Amino acid sequence: MRRNKVVGLGAVAASLALILSACGSADTDDKADGGGDECSGKIGAMGALSGPNASIVIPSVNGAELALKQFLAENEDCDISLEKFDSEGDATKATPLASQIADDPEFLGVIGGAFSGETRATKGIFNEAGVTMISQSATATDLTTEDPAAVFHRVVGYDDVQGAAVAKYLSDAIGATKVFVIDNSEAYGEPLADKVKEELGDLVADSDKTQVEQTEFSATISKIESAGADAIFYAGYIAEAAPLIKQIRDAGIDVPVVFPDGVYGADFPIAAGAAGEGAIVTCPCVPIEEGDTFYADYEAEFGEAPGAYAAEGFDAMTIFLEAIKSGATDRGAVEEFVDSYEGEGLTKTLAFDEKGDVAVENVVIWAYKVQGDALVPDQEISLD
Amino acid sequence: MLEQLGLLVVPLVAWDNLFSDLPGHTVDGLTRGAIYALVALGYTLVYGVMRLINFAHSEVFMVGTWAVLGIYTVIGAAEGDALWFVIVATLVALIGAMLASAGTALAVERIAYRPLRKKNAPPLIFLITAIGCSLVLLEIFGQVLHAFFGEPFGRKTISIPSLVQTEQLIGPRGSLLTTDAVTITNLQLIIFLGAVGMMLALDMFVNRSRLGRGVRAVAQDPDTAALMGVNQDRVFMLVFILGGAMAGVAALLYTMQFDITKFNIGFLIGIKAFTAAVLGGIGNLRGALLGGLLLGIVEVYSSTLFDSSWADVTAFILLILVLMIRPTGILGESLGKARA
Repeated sequence: MRRNKVVGLGAVAASLALILSACGSADTDDKADGGGDECSGKIGAMGALSGPNASIVIPSVNGAELALKQFLAENEDCDISLEKFDSEGDATKATPLASQIADDPEFLGVIGGAFSGETRATKGIFNEAGVTMISQSATATDLTTEDPAAVFHRVVGYDDVQGAAVAKYLSDAIGATKVFVIDNSEAYGEPLADKVKEELGDLVADSDKTQVEQTEFSATISKIESAGADAIFYAGYIAEAAPLIKQIRDAGIDVPVVFPDGVYGADFPIAAGAAGEGAIVTCPCVPIEEGDTFYADYEAEFGEAPGAYAAEGFDAMTIFLEAIKSGATDRGAVEEFVDSYEGEGLTKTLAFDEKGDVAVENVVIWAYKVQGDALVPDQEISLD
Repeated sequence: MLEQLGLLVVPLVAWDNLFSDLPGHTVDGLTRGAIYALVALGYTLVYGVMRLINFAHSEVFMVGTWAVLGIYTVIGAAEGDALWFVIVATLVALIGAMLASAGTALAVERIAYRPLRKKNAPPLIFLITAIGCSLVLLEIFGQVLHAFFGEPFGRKTISIPSLVQTEQLIGPRGSLLTTDAVTITNLQLIIFLGAVGMMLALDMFVNRSRLGRGVRAVAQDPDTAALMGVNQDRVFMLVFILGGAMAGVAALLYTMQFDITKFNIGFLIGIKAFTAAVLGGIGNLRGALLGGLLLGIVEVYSSTLFDSSWADVTAFILLILVLMIRPTGILGESLGKARA
């Protein structure tokens, strides 16, 4: 009896699949008549599109969407779509999404993962399926060094560079001699904090490790007090950075506080309120000037100034679009195109080394300062 | 390798960290623990009377924090308001948060638990319903309200105006007493006294009042209590209202100190409060107080000894150790038996 049911279900599923595939092929036939057979495919965008850290990711996906829109306006016979996958920045939620993308042969590439943790968790899945990844914002250094995946590329600098820049900013721009370093004990924050500590050497007064989802930092704060720190660096994301800086300021500690790009999102100044004023956020992303065409186009499209990694998202999508336009119709061809890509992006010269990174000399790290509700470009941190 | 070596060396260095400012850490721990204890009361009251772990209680707390935000927004309270206005706004927020939390707790009991009770559902069904209620409330704030009203609802961390500015009462910059020995801020004092005061009031209510006697009677022997004319449903409603109101107080105190809320803010605090309740002896009001304060202190001490990410590990090791020696918690599990 049970077996019959299974067979029955199987038959239904099979007939459904037939119907669906019939629809699918009918669609492509239509497009073929239009002459766009060569130039088609789907690109996924995976990252935190909701949640406290979404403001770090949404602008970059918007940037990718803008790239697609502009491309389609010029190439009307192309049929390319960008599909968004909301991982909430959580590695366990990203894994099934990655399998979903990998299992659909129409997906030729994926923009992301946006965060390092989810990227680490999914690059194996994408690698096995041969789906090219171009991340706009996953900066953990070991993503390209440990257990490397041939399909992984990123258009952003990595945390060893950012860590060195943070250390340089702390010691040179701020002139700190007793830095308190905190990290969030996860894939992104921990190695970044370690790199900063390594670069700072004797300038580190003390350090602490906190947790994701933590909102109460009294123990960390009493350590900061007893260390007599004259600057604080926290490696983590907005969700914890906002309550942390509030409690630091509430405790009457008014030394400079520096955050990395995990806090580079429009929601940080809002969530931190008055306590966030003057905080420094570093980012391997270039500021977009108000006069730029990209700035104007983005504002016209989304009704706001381009936020975190908007230009990096645009660049990542542009590479995929050029790959598909060049005639790449399967995953292997896209991968080959991206590997040998060379071009001038909005943010930097884009060419990937064998690990999938852009050249270090093309990476720029900027320090932004919280002013009111905005992150205002403060200075470029030169590493020379 | 270096990591492991570091771990061995850390305790040697960090004892120093702890003892150099033991009173200060103790104050931090008591403040943290006072909020755990207030939330723990909700778990303990419901468990004591109904033998049910109300996992939705963490969201009862969460609703309280949103009520505080809502009230501040409606009456236009902001940082730097005049003192009389701050006091009025805080009192209104206190009442609002208590009403909102108690109302949520009551709604959960009426909508979810009572129908199950009428059908004599087995305990496991209650447990899974409790978890379900918790998720429903969570997603109401995380998704549903966001869909209808947009911000501030949703999954973001939301800032709440910090009406009462932190100020040192006792400490190096203390306004009452200048000393290097310990730092106590106005907020820490308000939180600790507020929480302990509410708990004493609740303890008196349960032990001295007529309604409280009903609660104890149902806790000891529901059947006999019913025969003696105690309306069981009313007692159940009462314990949900009382527990909810305490979570509302906790919500106000929490937002006063941390100035934030978000849809899942109750999750971690709920787990900690439940731990505190079990530690002190679930079903025992004074146990919740003791367990909460102890848990807070242990967390802060261990954060200082190791680093902050060790707080949970140490707290749960303590829980296991206590339960090995006293399986019913430090004070034992009885709401009414101690002083029937």
